[in-house]
Amino acid sequence: MPDLGLEVLQKGSNFIRLIEGFWVAVEISLFSIAISIPLGVFLGILMTRKNKLIRFLTKFYLDFIRIMPQLVLLFLVFFGTTRSMGWNLSGEMAAVIVFVLWGTAEMGDLVRSALLSIPRHQYESSVALGFSRIQTYFYIILPQTLRRLIPVSINLITRMIKTTSLILMIGVVEVLKVGQQIIEANRMTSPNAAFGIFFVIFILYFVICWSVSMIARYLERKWS
Amino acid sequence: MKQLKKWIILGVTLALLGSLVGCGKTAETSKAADNGNTSSGSNDKNIYRTLDEIKKDGTINIGVFSDKNPFGYVDENGDYQGYDVYFAERLAKDLGVKVNYISTEAANRIEYLQTGKVDIILANFTVTDERKEEVDFALPYMNVALGVVSRNDKVVKSLDDLKKDDKIIVISGTTAETYLTKNYPDILLQKFDSYATAKEAFENGTGIAWANDNTEVIAFSLQNDGYTVGIPSLGSNDTIAPAVTKGNTTLLDWINEDIKKLGEEQFFHKDYEETLVETYGSDYKETLVVEGGKSAE
Amino acid sequence: MDFVYIERVLPLYKRAAVLTVRLGIEGTLLAIVIGLFCALILYEKIPILRQFVMFYIELSRNTPLLVQLFFIYYGLPKTGIMLTPEICGVAGLAFLGGSYMAEAFRSGLESVEDIQRECAYSLGMNKVQIMRYVVLPQAVSTSIPAFLANIIFLLKETSVFSAISLMDLMFTAKDLIGLYYKTSESLVLLVVFYLMILLPVSIIGTVVERRMQYAGFGA
Repeated sequence: MPDLGLEVLQKGSNFIRLIEGFWVAVEISLFSIAISIPLGVFLGILMTRKNKLIRFLTKFYLDFIRIMPQLVLLFLVFFGTTRSMGWNLSGEMAAVIVFVLWGTAEMGDLVRSALLSIPRHQYESSVALGFSRIQTYFYIILPQTLRRLIPVSINLITRMIKTTSLILMIGVVEVLKVGQQIIEANRMTSPNAAFGIFFVIFILYFVICWSVSMIARYLERKWS
Repeated sequence: MKQLKKWIILGVTLALLGSLVGCGKTAETSKAADNGNTSSGSNDKNIYRTLDEIKKDGTINIGVFSDKNPFGYVDENGDYQGYDVYFAERLAKDLGVKVNYISTEAANRIEYLQTGKVDIILANFTVTDERKEEVDFALPYMNVALGVVSRNDKVVKSLDDLKKDDKIIVISGTTAETYLTKNYPDILLQKFDSYATAKEAFENGTGIAWANDNTEVIAFSLQNDGYTVGIPSLGSNDTIAPAVTKGNTTLLDWINEDIKKLGEEQFFHKDYEETLVETYGSDYKETLVVEGGKSAE
Repeated sequence: MDFVYIERVLPLYKRAAVLTVRLGIEGTLLAIVIGLFCALILYEKIPILRQFVMFYIELSRNTPLLVQLFFIYYGLPKTGIMLTPEICGVAGLAFLGGSYMAEAFRSGLESVEDIQRECAYSLGMNKVQIMRYVVLPQAVSTSIPAFLANIIFLLKETSVFSAISLMDLMFTAKDLIGLYYKTSESLVLLVVFYLMILLPVSIIGTVVERRMQYAGFGA
């Protein structure tokens, strides 16, 4: 059995550092999703409105965010904003902004389709019962959509975690960068570390994302 | 109708982008004006932080490499180490502030300074005329030229005897890339965006040679078996210096003073002893180290 | 805006765009083949292979392309498997896209009602014929919207190819920023070129989707 560089992880605090690096990515995605969900619900409600201008603006936003690779958005926000607006963003901050923009768009679309799936008579009945528009949403429509939404928004979390791997490219020290640093510091003693380290990172991502999507699938089955 | 909408989207996007760039220009010019005229409005903040602002904050942001052993790397306990880092520690100590290291890639160094993401770049930054137009360099602390390392079984001794499809590895944003692009436009370059990936790929058998700072390729050939530096010196002899955002004179002057002061105690010789001797031995000490900001030329 | 600079670097962007599109198409085509096979295996419930396919789908859907590429390009050579960046890129894209395509085809296959198969069977068709003449044509056409969405997704994912030293649009922009320090121009060109690649596909997507909806009414 050739040496595949797994022993590097036992040195010093290497393994802990790798986990910490992974946590950076997970933290950014959890943080972003926490902001995206309320914003997305709001956007989703907006998107069902009949107003042409609102429709156009929300559609434009959704299409632009969806059509651009997330990496391009990261670059635009990370490097572009300082140039054009004088904001000085750290890589983490830029990542949160991009993932919130993206998460809100995706969430908004999910909310929109969930709202549209609520039959019309629900709205009409609640109007007939004398509910105001806000009351209708709060007491009748949202509770029903929430059930449909929870599994899909959990799925969005896994997509978010997967996408956060991109923050490596704007210089945030996350799990891949920590991996590279470990490989670099041990190049002489274990030249094959690249295999072991990248394999472990691959497995880390898989274990986390897979468990989260299992939860989503369980909820989907339970509530549908 | 929907298609039309998409094209409208395209148009509006372009318009937005255009205005974004337009704003960029005005922001830059107003910034330049601000630098010239300190009495102008305080709400037009500078991109950079002055010496006093850094002192008041208590932390200085220094951009270093995290994958360029032995100049800037991270050890197994997660601490930054290396020749550049040793100097960074000292600068912070003399300034009486804590250091916050920011990991950088070669291609990002200018960008990080221009966008104020770091106060100083101490990432083996070679002084060139093009770069001088974008950032301000302090006094040098190291000598450097370019070098080319290749595998022992096929040593590249001259760039002229490369075959047509031989690829040379370079790192995006380094002086080696600029030099080869300008002087040898026909050589195929395989570009990587970080030291870690470039070295990994070179080790895996990619490319016929790797061109970089000669300090770095010499270190690589000494640290790893089976590699020879076939071209130890290429291009002009340059120096490596700390860099700050253009116009940040308070910080620049202070660094220059500090470098001169450090010369008296032969600080960079000590730095070499602590961080580089393990890799280079003592042979390269006098050729590499620049003391007190006085380069040999 | 420095238009002289833009004119000078335009050929580089064009070359990068061609690379992005070429690798994107190669990866997508492979992904379609993998996806179709996997979907058929799942649909026909072939033992052992089915478990294998399910494992592959989970593995591919729950890991980021960037991490897959790092492992393929930087890790695998340690075991003696050495691939060029282009092959790695296409292989990574196919590995990722295969599972998404499989899901798209599978839902298409499942949308064909059992009664159609039974009818075809009673008309004397054999299994292969039923698949070829009855199930597949319908399944493929229902899965087209999902399928186009996947193509856009895969084309977007090619942006991480820069990590394995492929000179795609992303890396070209990044590299030029590092070489000439013209950030705004480079970023604008980057966005414009991605729009030129992705907008047409997206437009085709919406048109086809609407056609499909109309077709759906008749069924």
